[in-house]
Amino acid sequence: MMQPPPPSHEAELAGPFPPDLHDVRHLQLKAGLLLLWALVSFVAMYFARDLEALVVGGWPLGFWIAAQGAVLVFIAIVVVYCWAMNRFERQDAAQADLPSAPPAPQSHPHG
Amino acid sequence: MAENGAADGDKAYLWRLHRILATYVLGVLGFLALMTWAESRGLSRHWIGPIFLFLSVMVYAGIGVYGRTTDAEEYYVAGRRIPPMYNGMAAAADWMSAASFISLSGALYLQGFSGTPGHAGGLAYLLGWTGGFCLVAILVAPHLRAMGLYTVPDFFQVRFGGRWPRVIAALAAVVCSFTYVVAQIYGVGLIASRLTGVQFEIGIMLGLGGVLLCSFLGGMRAITWTQVAQYVVLLLAFLIPVSWLAYKQLGNPVAPLVYGTQISKIADMEAELLASPAEYEVVAAYLARARDYEARLENVEAALEDERIAIREKIRVLRAKNADVGLIVAASRELAALPRDATAARERWTKLMQENYERAQPLGGLPRHSHAYAGYPDGTPEEQAVFTDSRRNFLALMFCLMVGTAGLPHLLMRYYTSPTVAGARASVAWSLFFIALLYLSAPALAVLVKFEVMNNLVGSHFDALPNWIAQWARVDASLLSIEDMNGDGLVQFGEIHLGADLIMLATPELGGLPYVVSGLVAAGGLAAALSTADGLLLTISNALVRDLYFQAKPRNASPEQRVILTKFTLLAVALAAAFVAALKPSDILPLVSASFSLAASAFVPVMVLGIFWRGTTRQGAVAGMLCGLGLAAYYMLSHVPSLRATLPHWLLADGLWFGIQPISAGVFGVPAGLVSAVLVSWLTRPPPLRPPVRLEM
Repeated sequence: MMQPPPPSHEAELAGPFPPDLHDVRHLQLKAGLLLLWALVSFVAMYFARDLEALVVGGWPLGFWIAAQGAVLVFIAIVVVYCWAMNRFERQDAAQADLPSAPPAPQSHPHG
Repeated sequence: MAENGAADGDKAYLWRLHRILATYVLGVLGFLALMTWAESRGLSRHWIGPIFLFLSVMVYAGIGVYGRTTDAEEYYVAGRRIPPMYNGMAAAADWMSAASFISLSGALYLQGFSGTPGHAGGLAYLLGWTGGFCLVAILVAPHLRAMGLYTVPDFFQVRFGGRWPRVIAALAAVVCSFTYVVAQIYGVGLIASRLTGVQFEIGIMLGLGGVLLCSFLGGMRAITWTQVAQYVVLLLAFLIPVSWLAYKQLGNPVAPLVYGTQISKIADMEAELLASPAEYEVVAAYLARARDYEARLENVEAALEDERIAIREKIRVLRAKNADVGLIVAASRELAALPRDATAARERWTKLMQENYERAQPLGGLPRHSHAYAGYPDGTPEEQAVFTDSRRNFLALMFCLMVGTAGLPHLLMRYYTSPTVAGARASVAWSLFFIALLYLSAPALAVLVKFEVMNNLVGSHFDALPNWIAQWARVDASLLSIEDMNGDGLVQFGEIHLGADLIMLATPELGGLPYVVSGLVAAGGLAAALSTADGLLLTISNALVRDLYFQAKPRNASPEQRVILTKFTLLAVALAAAFVAALKPSDILPLVSASFSLAASAFVPVMVLGIFWRGTTRQGAVAGMLCGLGLAAYYMLSHVPSLRATLPHWLLADGLWFGIQPISAGVFGVPAGLVSAVLVSWLTRPPPLRPPVRLEM
């Protein structure tokens, strides 16, 4: 079933393109944030019935987490990710600038 | 493509955009004020709806005409120069479909925390549709943007090479986007028919004209700016009624902060209703009706014949009495609406029997609002089973929606329009922010509406029902029906049936707002449906033209010719979707959830593996996509009643696996895709490369 890549008129789309190796710091950041993500969504909802008994400021805690708390944490996760990645990229760019030839900072973004 | 050089030019561009946005928001608010004034001066309600519909579609179409383009870079990715905040707004409008805007609050009203045992839902939708953005931001979007692609199937070709990964990805994109777009167009038809009083099918066509004007002329560029305009409308349309209800009930318009107190009041009222004898009379009446259908099902043909004879007799009597033409027409309609043959009758009566059995429960079959999951973890084994089943389905649905978010091509495509990778990350954050503005208010709206219904509607007299009830019941009886089941002339909670798609649209009338707000809400629903339909249609036509037609073999076509071909494919797809929507396939939410499960199983495992594991091979990718999509589709289709009746039994999955509802088929599809992609990649891994040093020698 598998054929060699057909001769394509778009040269840049011709062959397999393995991704760059990911920076370990980026992977750690991702893992940490995804853990938090799973914690507020899946783990918290697994125990939703137990959290229901706790009432904080008029809100049953289980309902509050599902209706608001988790969403706020999701926003925080994405914002922290943006901030941290921008910071990493600035650090990388600064390090790359130390040697004489400064490469373009956008050429190998890791995402 | 990144516009790093001209920082000043960028700033000026951004300021110009901010100014335009501010002018537009002021314009919308001014228009609302004008309409409110006109209504108070006696502008007829018959005009308000059509004015909102027509003007809003004209504004979107105007933006579409202004942004028209045949340039490929502009048509596919809006020139990659949309600033993150605007990209976030457009993504939010793209994301919040008719399902979010029209059905979500309704679903939260009907399903409470977690839905009923056979039908998970409720806050799982809210969590799924927001939590998925964490996956988009962390795992997918920036990586895709870094590769500088045009469509999602592009990724599969660039990463894995060959033809098949791209073809399969394009087909999967078409399948899940098409399911989704049908749901949007259904929503458009619903709103347009309500606003203008035209037939559902004509409503579909009217709305479709608006969609086509934007996406047909301008592609991604026009769609982006239309979506920004639509976001403003839908945000206002959602927040104004919620804030009004919150202000009316609690004296504070910031609903998400204050609706906690209503939750405990609803819990008290629910306890009261559960103890009320009148509610039990209603339950008994529904039970009797359900038993009646059950009895009919014992001998379907005879029962159908009896029914026919009874209605013919009724028509004859009416004619003989020279009764009102309307009554005779109604009776003839009833006759025409009877099932044609025994199989159709069996299907319909089974459905009615189930519906009546469902309503023959305390609280009209609605779960207690803030109570998580059905059953009791410490109760009898049966109650424990119900509890675990309900919790498992809630988590499964949430999982499918979250993972599906990371795989829906029309959303991922939005992040291609961002100028840089950092911009793509920021765009995801802005999207989630703009979505949360609305989603944090949706459960508030459900709670406030429930309070309003329980507090005001329940216990009122049947002859003093508000007007809007009759109006909506006329649009579609499945949206709203209210019937004096126990004959005491008072409305019981169990007698009110509100469809999920109705609650948002009827909220302004329920809260006693001026009719202008109803018009605005309908315009907001229209904006939500149109914006999503725009993005989806563009995705489908791109997949068909760019990824299938031009990839099958190299064809000589200039970029302009390709764009033109894409435009005409888009037209064809839109008409096909309108045709399917006119058949009224099913509720909006289940359709949408199904496409999330499909997208989750088809794209996400292979995409994430492709990004993070260098060892993924082309064969592995193909296997992963086919297994994931195949398993999810198989599990869903095995539980479609009409297929169950026609296909041989050994072909279909028997029963539910682990009690998971077919809507959450992604729970099986995603791991299947992941495992098969890893296994096949491992089996077909290429021989290790020789160290480069030896090549030098």
